[in-house]
Amino acid sequence: MSVPVEARGLKKTYRDGARRVDVLTGIDLRVEPGEFVSVVGPSGSGKSTLLHLLGALDLPDEGAVEIGGTSLAALDPRELASFRNRTIGFVFQFQELLPDFDAEENVMMPGRIAGLEVSALRHRARDLLAEVGLEERMDHYPNELSGGERQRVALCRALLLEPPLLLADEPTGNLDPKSGDQIFDLMLELQARHGTTAMVVTHNPELARRCGRLLRLESGTLQPESR
Amino acid sequence: MSNLPFSLYVALRYLKSTRRDALITFLSATAAGGIALGIAALILALAALTGFQAALRGEILARTPQIEVELPPDAEGEAARRSVAQLPGVEGVGLLIRGRGWLLAAGRARPVELVGFDGELPGFFPEASDRAEGLYVGDRLATIWGLGEGDLVEVASTRPTLSPIGPQPRVRRLLVHGIFETGRTEQEARVALPLAEAASLLGRADTRLSITTGGLDEALRLAPQVAAVMPEGAVVKTWRDFNRALLFALRLEKGLMFVAVFLIVVVAAMSLVSDITLILASKLPEVGMLGAMGARPRELQRVFLWLGGSLVAIGTLLGVLVGIGGAWMLDRYQLLSLPSQVYFLDHVPFLVRPTDVFWILLATVLLTFGCSLYAAKKAAAMRPVEALRR
Ligand SMILES: Nc1ncnc2c1ncn2[C@@H]1O[C@H](COP(=O)(O)OP(=O)(O)OP(=O)(O)O)[C@@H](O)[C@H]1O
Ligand SMILES: [Mg+2]
Repeated sequence: MSVPVEARGLKKTYRDGARRVDVLTGIDLRVEPGEFVSVVGPSGSGKSTLLHLLGALDLPDEGAVEIGGTSLAALDPRELASFRNRTIGFVFQFQELLPDFDAEENVMMPGRIAGLEVSALRHRARDLLAEVGLEERMDHYPNELSGGERQRVALCRALLLEPPLLLADEPTGNLDPKSGDQIFDLMLELQARHGTTAMVVTHNPELARRCGRLLRLESGTLQPESR
Repeated sequence: MSNLPFSLYVALRYLKSTRRDALITFLSATAAGGIALGIAALILALAALTGFQAALRGEILARTPQIEVELPPDAEGEAARRSVAQLPGVEGVGLLIRGRGWLLAAGRARPVELVGFDGELPGFFPEASDRAEGLYVGDRLATIWGLGEGDLVEVASTRPTLSPIGPQPRVRRLLVHGIFETGRTEQEARVALPLAEAASLLGRADTRLSITTGGLDEALRLAPQVAAVMPEGAVVKTWRDFNRALLFALRLEKGLMFVAVFLIVVVAAMSLVSDITLILASKLPEVGMLGAMGARPRELQRVFLWLGGSLVAIGTLLGVLVGIGGAWMLDRYQLLSLPSQVYFLDHVPFLVRPTDVFWILLATVLLTFGCSLYAAKKAAAMRPVEALRR
């Protein structure tokens, strides 16, 4: 299952008293179902901001986001939450895992939120963790995992409910090139297998080039980038 | 265990993990411990008051007629007695004459309340060995004066008789027939004597009916029916009317005690608010992540309600156990003793009334739930994207 993502005329400005940061000044974007897009851009260019807007976590000042034909502006906070739960798998830039839950419980969390049956969730979580080579680490807590292991767990969690859209914000950040490579391979492989639409932010140009499409975010707008 | 609702599942995990934080642990312990302390103190304080009140009521009500009717001066006592006796539920009706007088024996005199009765000695003279017609004095006076059955005493009335040599006190010489128990709460000495003797001393102007029924509540129920069959001008009084001031004081005392001790719970509720707020602040990024994963605002709020709720539950359970258990122990083994010369009881009695416990729990749960809700609302108001940027 996969969905198209469409954004039209997205603008986002952060205001803090007299200070004003125009982060996104006009984003037009269409991602086809099952497409794998990577976004690059200098630090502070608004990549995370864009991902938050596409992921129904924040609202744009102007413009509209449609995911699989659903306009996000039409949903109230409760509906947005359910929408995120069912439709979007997130890998966050900074907080990867919940520190009070072990790897398996972290992976199961979106299913817990959805109120699904626990034993089935556990099964699925174990399969996913085994797929990323963490069968020995299921009962480890985040502080007992390495950075790369944590990012693999976070990826499993994002994919638990087989969301039609995967949004990953620097899933290979803070990793050595080899581990980053592994994670990226894994993501490509899982994405291809499930046919998920995916959008991945990365600083690593080499990794970015391995995606279907490459976009550059600079001075508030998106430009296609040749590989 | 594993199929817990999401919010409870997360709340229990947070409850466990925040134990590593010394300040949060301290606040949680203060909240739960304060609630426990407050509830236990409330239960014990109210149980002691209830125990005292029950003893005091028993003591006083044993010396008060259930229903007494003051007849108007011109009323026919015997006729009034017959009409009351016909009422269903009335178990006994006696004529009474009340008045003031003096008891004199062996050269000593003492003001007393005179109660003339016909037939058997009324129930509000408790613990007499024999209830036949005759003169009865209280055991305290009997001990002081060394009186016993068969001793001769004189009873004088405060109403004089006019004689050729001026007003003369009316005096009757009578044999002591029996002794009744003087309550420790009784301020004034009472003397019971046959109606005919009382009438000759006091006249028949203040004639009353003393009515006995199946019980105290029954007496309150019957009082209006008694009033309905009485002649114009009669005053019907129940045990409650005789002790109105005392009963009110007892209730007031209990209410004030409740408010004062409940302040402990109020303080505990405050620390519950700071506790939940602190946990929420320390967990904010994670709460944001849960929100990003699709936990609804209400559900996130419920996580912190459960947190507060489980602390309240622990505190309440502990408080009820300590309170009721403590009250039982203190009462059963009479652990708190009182100097019996000073008071009418030799130990502090504890009596736990279920309705008291119910009100304590209701007030506690309402307050602490309200406080938890207030603190937990911030979880619902949080925007995931802001929490994620921390
Ligand atoms: N809440 C906020 N208030 C004010 N400014 C903000 C806020 N959030 C982000 N910004 C600013 O918006 C800009 C874009 O931030 P964003 O996190 O989207 O950048 P990014 O492209 O993800 O950077 P990085 O590669 O370092 O993660 C930054 O300059 C940042 O300072
Ligand atoms: Mg970023």
